[in-house]
Amino acid sequence: MELTKSKPSSAIKQARVRGRTLETIFWYTVLCLIAVITVFPFIWVLSTSLKGPNDVIYSVPPQLFPNDPTIDNYRRVWQQLPMANFFTNSILVAAATVTLNLLFCSLAAYPFAKMQFRGKDLIFYLLLATFIVPPQLTYIPGFVLAVNVFHYYDTIFALIFPSLATVFNIFLMRQAFKTVPDELIDAGRIDGASELRIWWSILMPIVRPSLATIAIITFVSTWNDFLWPSLMLHTRERMTLPVGLANLQGMFTSDQRGIAAGVVMTIIPILIVFVLLQRQFVRGLSGAVKG
Amino acid sequence: MTRRTSLTPYLFLTPALLVIAVFTLYPIISVVYYSFTDYSIVTPPEWIGLRNYQQLMKDPVFWLALKHSFTYLLVTPTLIILCMILAIVVNRKLPGINLFRALYYIPVICGTIAVGIAWRMMLDTNGALNGLLLSMGILKEPVQWLAEPSYTLTIVMMLTIWLGLGYYMMIFLAGLQNIPEELYDAALIDGCNSWQKHWYVSVPGLRPQITFVAVISSLAALQVFNEVYILTGELGGILNSAVTIVFYMWRQAFRLHHAGMGSAVAMVLLIITLAFSIMNIRMLERGTEAQ
Repeated sequence: MELTKSKPSSAIKQARVRGRTLETIFWYTVLCLIAVITVFPFIWVLSTSLKGPNDVIYSVPPQLFPNDPTIDNYRRVWQQLPMANFFTNSILVAAATVTLNLLFCSLAAYPFAKMQFRGKDLIFYLLLATFIVPPQLTYIPGFVLAVNVFHYYDTIFALIFPSLATVFNIFLMRQAFKTVPDELIDAGRIDGASELRIWWSILMPIVRPSLATIAIITFVSTWNDFLWPSLMLHTRERMTLPVGLANLQGMFTSDQRGIAAGVVMTIIPILIVFVLLQRQFVRGLSGAVKG
Repeated sequence: MTRRTSLTPYLFLTPALLVIAVFTLYPIISVVYYSFTDYSIVTPPEWIGLRNYQQLMKDPVFWLALKHSFTYLLVTPTLIILCMILAIVVNRKLPGINLFRALYYIPVICGTIAVGIAWRMMLDTNGALNGLLLSMGILKEPVQWLAEPSYTLTIVMMLTIWLGLGYYMMIFLAGLQNIPEELYDAALIDGCNSWQKHWYVSVPGLRPQITFVAVISSLAALQVFNEVYILTGELGGILNSAVTIVFYMWRQAFRLHHAGMGSAVAMVLLIITLAFSIMNIRMLERGTEAQ
């Protein structure tokens, strides 16, 4: 009785284990295939960038591994283009934009979240209205301002000033401040702290996760921004990475190995940052959605 | 005392509001004005009434650009379906699953320009894609992927989809992880197989994320520029085959120096975006009613 009972059950268990192993293999195959689709262009660029003159770029089937890997392409691009300037400019623009956004947007968010004042609704709905407007709409008047009024055409200030504060960031910070209990702020007021002091020492430490979210969203969008910077930056030494890279594509048209080296050089630093801060990146970039 | 406190909120708002007033609000107003003028940025604007709009209506390329921009919206349903499936695939406990999620996310971080150049190298007539397809026997002769007008727009759209996969996947993944396990158990008890359970539980559970992705990706699709520029260059594809509304605006204002005309195109973009936003808000309202 016991034997007849245990036999089929162990057979079922075995079948189940085998089924699960098959399933696991199936899912890993699917995952790897998708990974090939998302990563292959990068691997191809890396491989092209390491190819010397003796390794062909086009062949049937494509040659993935260079027989004679070289870093000459990197050296050539680095010498012919001010890559170091591109990096410095990109870092400066991103650092200034992120820092000042954190400051300006959280300053503006405090009264919206925690104060009553005349014109609050009016200003709020005005901001909401500008939020819907596509940014490209502002490029023509922005160009006029840059050339005729602020005279910062062809400098990185032309990229920093217009993006010092965004409505999106203000809204995000307003939501964050709203979660802070009023009692904390009242306690600060009773202690005689100024509003600035309350904002800095009570509110800002509590909303640190939201500040991180804003920092990451602003950083990625600034780092990869292209259209506006390409309109503003003319002199090669003053370009940011995406603008310089697009420029490189025009300069090195027939030199695929050089272009590839340029692409790899621009991707590596941001990939390193991503690997180090992966969790924060993913949470920051998709964290803005709350059903 | 009361006077001081009543000034405080405005002081907090000033830096951010100043930036938004100068770089968003003022440009929106002046782009309306410029659209009624003959303007080349170098010479002062000259009022010409509706002539820009009349000329626009007569330009077949403008209508083509409009058609392309509406076609581009097909990116949205494609992304929703693909990214939901992708999120379901990566939403399982397997060793190393985080590595795969990160691999799918890489294109999001790298930016359109770097990724677009990588794609352009792959799609070159002497590129890896032709090499690959020829060696597998799928193609008999190399295809000029980017020189064939009937392919261009589709290829540009595929780049947008490919760039968005990881980002929207993460949003759906976050949504999936909020769906209670019991709902799936109940579905299994009711006799759903593992595919049906996603149809009956996951898809309805992801409603807020679907709305969010629909709004964000359709607005981005209407405003697309970088992908077109990096894959097709200043031409916007042979025979304007990939010219979108923002690309057309950019060419009018910054290549042909018709800033007045460009402003009129910007107004068209604004009207389309507003119509879309109203539709989206209606959809959102209906979504919350249904819940």
